[in-house]
Amino acid sequence: MRVLIVEDERRLAENVARSLRESAGYAVDVTFDGEEGLYMAGSNPYDLILLDLMLPKMDGLSVLKAIRRSGSAVPVLVLTARDEKESVVALLNAGADDYVAKPFDLGELMARAKALIRRGKGQSAAVLKVGDLEISTADLTVRRKGKAVGLTAMEYRVLEYLAHRPGAVVPKTELLEHLYDFNWERFSNVIEVYISGLRRKLDDTGDTKLIHTLRGQGYMLRG
Amino acid sequence: MPKTSIQRRLIAAVVISQLALAVGLAFVAVYFTRRQLHDAFDAQLRGRAMSIAALVRYSEEEHPKLIFEDDLVPPSLEKQHPDLYQVRAGDGHLIAQSENWPGDLHPTPAGNREHANFDFDGVEYRAVIIDRLPVLDREPDIPPGDVLNVIYASPTDETTLAIAFAGVGIGLGSAVLLLITVGLAVWGLRRGLRPLSELASSASAVSTSNWELNPSNDARETLELAPLTSAMTTMLDGLHRAFDQQRDFLANAAHELKTPVAVLKSTLQSLLQRPRATEEYRAGLEEALQDMARLEKLLHSMLRLARAEQWAAGSTRRDLEIIEVAPTCQSAIERLAPVARERNVTVDLNTNGAMPVRADAEDLELVWANLVENAIRFSPAGNRVQVRLHADGGHGVVEIADNGPGMTPDELAHIFERFHRGDSSRARATGGYGLGLSIAKALIEAYGGTIVPESTPGHGTRMVVSVPLRT
Repeated sequence: MRVLIVEDERRLAENVARSLRESAGYAVDVTFDGEEGLYMAGSNPYDLILLDLMLPKMDGLSVLKAIRRSGSAVPVLVLTARDEKESVVALLNAGADDYVAKPFDLGELMARAKALIRRGKGQSAAVLKVGDLEISTADLTVRRKGKAVGLTAMEYRVLEYLAHRPGAVVPKTELLEHLYDFNWERFSNVIEVYISGLRRKLDDTGDTKLIHTLRGQGYMLRG
Repeated sequence: MPKTSIQRRLIAAVVISQLALAVGLAFVAVYFTRRQLHDAFDAQLRGRAMSIAALVRYSEEEHPKLIFEDDLVPPSLEKQHPDLYQVRAGDGHLIAQSENWPGDLHPTPAGNREHANFDFDGVEYRAVIIDRLPVLDREPDIPPGDVLNVIYASPTDETTLAIAFAGVGIGLGSAVLLLITVGLAVWGLRRGLRPLSELASSASAVSTSNWELNPSNDARETLELAPLTSAMTTMLDGLHRAFDQQRDFLANAAHELKTPVAVLKSTLQSLLQRPRATEEYRAGLEEALQDMARLEKLLHSMLRLARAEQWAAGSTRRDLEIIEVAPTCQSAIERLAPVARERNVTVDLNTNGAMPVRADAEDLELVWANLVENAIRFSPAGNRVQVRLHADGGHGVVEIADNGPGMTPDELAHIFERFHRGDSSRARATGGYGLGLSIAKALIEAYGGTIVPESTPGHGTRMVVSVPLRT
């Protein structure tokens, strides 16, 4: 999952980014002004945007409206210091999916971010199920037939992304775009490394095969 | 419970004065009535004595013997207590006396008056004693000779009774009049004081959600209440303004505190998210301390502003000494040297002559620091900020000019608003919270001065500060 944070209070943006990376395993991009935020939202396929309202150059509400005007349905979670009813109503009407009032609780922000991402993918349960595979997005654990499977952080990210769209073919480039932020080098062969790792841990136990490779097209998770 | 009531005091004063008036009038009335009745009684008594004297005449046979015609005596005033009379000749021998005249009665007038009072037959009598009356009935040819001494007495009980009746009548009449006038006075007072209680009830309707004092027409048109009503209206206006100002300030402050608190909270929470190495904890705590320092700076600025605004609003100000402006400018510029160096901006200071003002040096330094810091912040790298001091009439003028992007009239209108940030990213990058200009304005106004911003987009901004000079 890849998240964009648009927040001009640098320390706050960095803390939220660190938390998203550590507790949800998301790739996070951070920008400090509205104009750049809008540009980045349009040029990368984000799974969630965290948007501050008081931004230099272009305020958050205008960024939000511009994103929606461009036809994007990306979930937007607004970070606001105002929590009066009118401004919340204006936010939701402008196309925000949710909001948290400053000073917010990081744990709550994480939970809301995860819920928004799940709903953006058409899922609403915190535990993703594909056949006999269970992925708990709350504590980042994976079980197959009730037995815990130990995955590395990157293997988990790949699996969670595939599990959000079971039965669909996900191209390798899409995986790359959603799993890495700008701070990371993109090496296309790392995806293959993670896929083979996942195969070894999930499928080589003699059970039904879950991970399918469609040559030239991408990967698919199917129960 | 209040102990005194204006209404009750006024009513008591009215009742007491009416009572005094009624009692006084009653006494005067009774006194004159009594005197009238006594005088009438005495006149009647004298008349009767004269009639008795007229009944004495000289005998035709035994001249000059005096005889009394007792069949012509007028009837007594009272049947039960008949009148008494006695007529003696000038030489003292008895000519006539009433049948009921007691032998031992010798009424003598008190002092030089001709009346005497005595008790007889169980009632009080009053007598008139007339001496040396000439005998009226005599022959024309006979020279005047003998004189008569006449005593005539009548019971006074009827007159006394009449006086008592008159007294009771006057007393009752006064009492009734007293009740009526007191009633009228109480009614009038209550009515007259009604605007006061109406004003009180409209004043009690004033609250923090309704600052309008709506006095009734009576209260508004009452001469004595007009100064009170206008004073209350003025006071309420002042309170309303101060209340709104405080409420806005509190709301702004609470709002502005949210962001630094959010930063601090997120720093600590992300630190606690998972077990970390000691070095990570140390780094995290140091970050938290930096966040704290920014929070502290904001709080300090807000308190400073609140205090400056209180002074500007005319609160008591500690005794101030006369100081020179130039050194405070100098030290403010020195304080900002690191910021100027970092942004590669030079600050020039031009002083011209003495500029003594009555002010606190620290306050002035803060004002210049805030204005110069703004100028540095908006100056493009490599530019100069000009600080020029000169005296203009009775005022010291400090001009701070930059070559920055300038401001539109619309932007200029908002720069002194609390928590206003022209460009939030730049303000936050230098730790500003949009309070600097508000503080500068409040402090300069507290010293009776003004700050006027002059700016055109593309041509930089000039802040002109003017403070009254003291010599």
